Amino acid sequence: MVIGRSLKLRFGLRAKLLLLSSFLFIIPWFGYQYVWEMEKYLRFGQEQTLVGTARALATALHERENLFNNQASFLPNVEQGKDLYGYKLTQAVQLDGLHNDWPEFNQRTHFYHHQQQLFAKEPLSLNFKASVGKYDNYLYLFFQVVDNHLIFRGKNTRSITNNDHLALSFSDNNNKLNRFIISNKKTGWISAFNVTDDDTNIPEPAPHIQGHWLLTPQGYNVELRVPLDNLGDNIAFAFFDVDKKGSEAVSAIGSADPSNAESLGTIVVPSPEIERIVKGMRYTNSSIWVVDQHHRVLASAGSLKSASGVWHAKEKQPKENEIRSLWYQFKQHILFPLYYKILTKPSTDFIDQLYDEQHLRGSHIVNALTGEATSQWRLTTDKKALVLSAAYPIFINNQVQGAVIVEETTNGIRTLRNRALEKLFTVILAIMSLGALAFLLFASRISSRIRHLSNQAELAIDKQGRIIGQMRASNSNDEIGDLSRSFATAVNRLSEYNHYLESMSSRLSHELRTPIAVVKTSLENLSLQEEQRAQVDKSNSPYIERAQTGINTLNLILTNMSEATRLEQMLTTTEKIDFDLLQVVNGCISGYQQVYPSIKFSFNNRICDSKRKKLLLYGSPEHIVQLLDKVISNGVEFSQDNKITVELNTNNNNAELFISNNGILLPEQLSENLFDSMVSLRDKNPKGYSKQAVPHLGLGLYISRLICQFHHGKISAYNHHDPEGVTVHISLPTKV
Amino acid sequence: MTKRIAIVEDEAAIRENYADVLRSQGYQVQTYANRSTATQAFNLRLPNLVILDIGLDEEYDGGFVLCQQLRAKSATLPIIFLTARDNDFDTVSGLRIGADDYLTKDISLPHLTARISALFRRQEALKQPINDEHITRSGALTVDSQRMCITWQNKSVDLTITEFWLVHALAKHPGHVKNRTQLMSDSKIYVDDSTITSHIKRIRKKFMQNDANFDCIETVYGMGYRWLSDNSTRDDED
Repeated sequence: MVIGRSLKLRFGLRAKLLLLSSFLFIIPWFGYQYVWEMEKYLRFGQEQTLVGTARALATALHERENLFNNQASFLPNVEQGKDLYGYKLTQAVQLDGLHNDWPEFNQRTHFYHHQQQLFAKEPLSLNFKASVGKYDNYLYLFFQVVDNHLIFRGKNTRSITNNDHLALSFSDNNNKLNRFIISNKKTGWISAFNVTDDDTNIPEPAPHIQGHWLLTPQGYNVELRVPLDNLGDNIAFAFFDVDKKGSEAVSAIGSADPSNAESLGTIVVPSPEIERIVKGMRYTNSSIWVVDQHHRVLASAGSLKSASGVWHAKEKQPKENEIRSLWYQFKQHILFPLYYKILTKPSTDFIDQLYDEQHLRGSHIVNALTGEATSQWRLTTDKKALVLSAAYPIFINNQVQGAVIVEETTNGIRTLRNRALEKLFTVILAIMSLGALAFLLFASRISSRIRHLSNQAELAIDKQGRIIGQMRASNSNDEIGDLSRSFATAVNRLSEYNHYLESMSSRLSHELRTPIAVVKTSLENLSLQEEQRAQVDKSNSPYIERAQTGINTLNLILTNMSEATRLEQMLTTTEKIDFDLLQVVNGCISGYQQVYPSIKFSFNNRICDSKRKKLLLYGSPEHIVQLLDKVISNGVEFSQDNKITVELNTNNNNAELFISNNGILLPEQLSENLFDSMVSLRDKNPKGYSKQAVPHLGLGLYISRLICQFHHGKISAYNHHDPEGVTVHISLPTKV
Repeated sequence: MTKRIAIVEDEAAIRENYADVLRSQGYQVQTYANRSTATQAFNLRLPNLVILDIGLDEEYDGGFVLCQQLRAKSATLPIIFLTARDNDFDTVSGLRIGADDYLTKDISLPHLTARISALFRRQEALKQPINDEHITRSGALTVDSQRMCITWQNKSVDLTITEFWLVHALAKHPGHVKNRTQLMSDSKIYVDDSTITSHIKRIRKKFMQNDANFDCIETVYGMGYRWLSDNSTRDDED
């Protein structure tokens, strides 16, 4: 039970208020939700803007057939490897046979192997990778060929085909087929020849096709460029493998048969015309793509990295004096790092590899190419940024011929959101810390007031339940003040009542004294008259005598009852003097030996200090004697073996008196209030002192306590064992 | 000439009981229930002795007021307070305003009558020349048992009857310890121990008014009191 209570968690007022104040945390949550909601609307707005941009661009491109004419966009389908796409190169490439200046070379190549073989007389020992790019006014081609035997054209060989060579053909603007063969005698600058269908014609060198032939451990690389001004829509290239010097080609692999004009594949390069239109839109902070119906990019503008939407506002640079301000420093170094534990700063160096420029994918593009404007949200491939894409179809003759794709990241909105949240957090932090502080102060104030009140209440009543002090009523005009006032009133009333109870015996004795005096005097008169008459008939006199005995006992009781009150009154007027306790105790014990001849008193003076023969106390020796009288008479009555031990000791300026008798023990529950008024144990005395010479009202030990209190001392009683009995311990401060 | 005793007491039964016993002793007794009737009667003629209760009807201190008025009229009129109030404060107040004795109502009638006759005897004796027969001397103390007065170093100590009897009992056998019970029976009162203590204290004070070094009444802790003859104290001082 006791353990259970101690384990019970104490849930103080302060803790409760703190718990309640934790509801303040809802406010930042609401703020946070609000900002999120705001972001949602902003995103919605961004989506609409984006779709609008896409529509605007698409509108500019609707029904402009000629823009798409030469872009092979009308083909019903495209064949990988055969239909080529010229990537837009952002930088000039050096014609050196090395692909390190080709951006994203590995992604932008197509691998040609046996599926693309044109013929093979022997098992295939050739394959190659090809990449096509467009820069400025040239079409660049790069081939990385793997060949087991590289046979160059002989030094004086007339034939240009009896060695490893590259055949390249394309249609010009008039749809006329131009065929070239690149056939080198050695590594280095390429030798290109213009060939015709007529084999007898001597091949003419074609200096406008420039390039570089480089040997590699696996085979060779060929990097070349063709001017765009005479380049049509169709193109084909093929490598012919010769394994023996001077012999015919044994196999060939290529995009298409270069000698057959019909079989040529198409080439798409980003269209300068469309790009010009698109360029006009690049100020929208968006990344724009125009694709044909085969998802091939016809034009693009802007970069996704800088496309953070219209919401993107350049961060205002703080002024010089602002940077130096303490608040700014605090914000930068303490608050923001804290906030960005929760918030994420939109990354500007995200990587998005979704779009291969040759082939844009995504359901929104598919949808757009079926004639439906769509927008979608997606994460970049590294999941660092959220991208919003909108696609809008381009119609030519009621047919979807392409689509405009506009993309933006949400970085602008996120930056905006972050800035809003930063401000929100700062404000909330300020409000919450102020609020929490106020709550804490308020709670502390209240709890300290209540604790003060409870301490006061506890101090007002002592362990025995007596009122020992007055409570000071609080003046404050609130509930705690009311409580304090009612406490004070209660304590006052209780103290009045206690006082009434304490003075009860004396009042009672006072009130009873007059009627007793009436009876007593009447009886005495009666007995006097009896004596005077001196009648022979004495039968009445024993009754008168008995009545007088009774009335005398009653009188004695009344005297004893008022003794405590009289003592209290007397103590208030008693003057304290210096006296020797040792002398008093010694005298008393020799006196008691005479008063109680049957009891053996033993006095142990434990004061070892022989020099100090005196134990000076400041008080009233008569009352100390009275105290000893009471305690000793009490001890004598309870003693079973007629022995009383008195022990005197000193301890830290206190004279300690122990008066022990062997006999019955004190009941536990009474030991606290044994020294209270009208508490007596004598009913339980097994010796059966039912007829006592002196009536007992339980005032003896109460008087002892009063005297002890007068001397600022303490009195207590406890049981001792072996042999069993009770020891009364009196502690009185000595004179320092 | 019969002595006239006035009893001022609001409780009729007690009043009559006292009156009866005093009449039976041959005194002429007048009884008054309250202060106004008593004052009227005393204005006409003063009795030879007055027994007063303190609380008279509604007047809490009526007896004290009456006592003061009587003392103003006559300095020698014996006044006895006979009251239910047994506290020290009332006792001191009663004696201070001039009462010759202060008794509580638990006193027995024989004790009361003894006291009354003692008072009259003292009054009588004061009128007669000093008779050395009744005078005992012990050092600086002179006890005149007839006139019931005590002098210390030839200066009179003004004691009440009770106090006189107490000193008389102690001084009769100097050096002998008298316990409280003995003192009570000698002084014809029955009170509790602390009352004896306060009586002794008062007596010491009265002696000390004459002689600040008075210390002849010694407390023997646990037993009682004894009179130290001043010769022995002188010896101690020397």
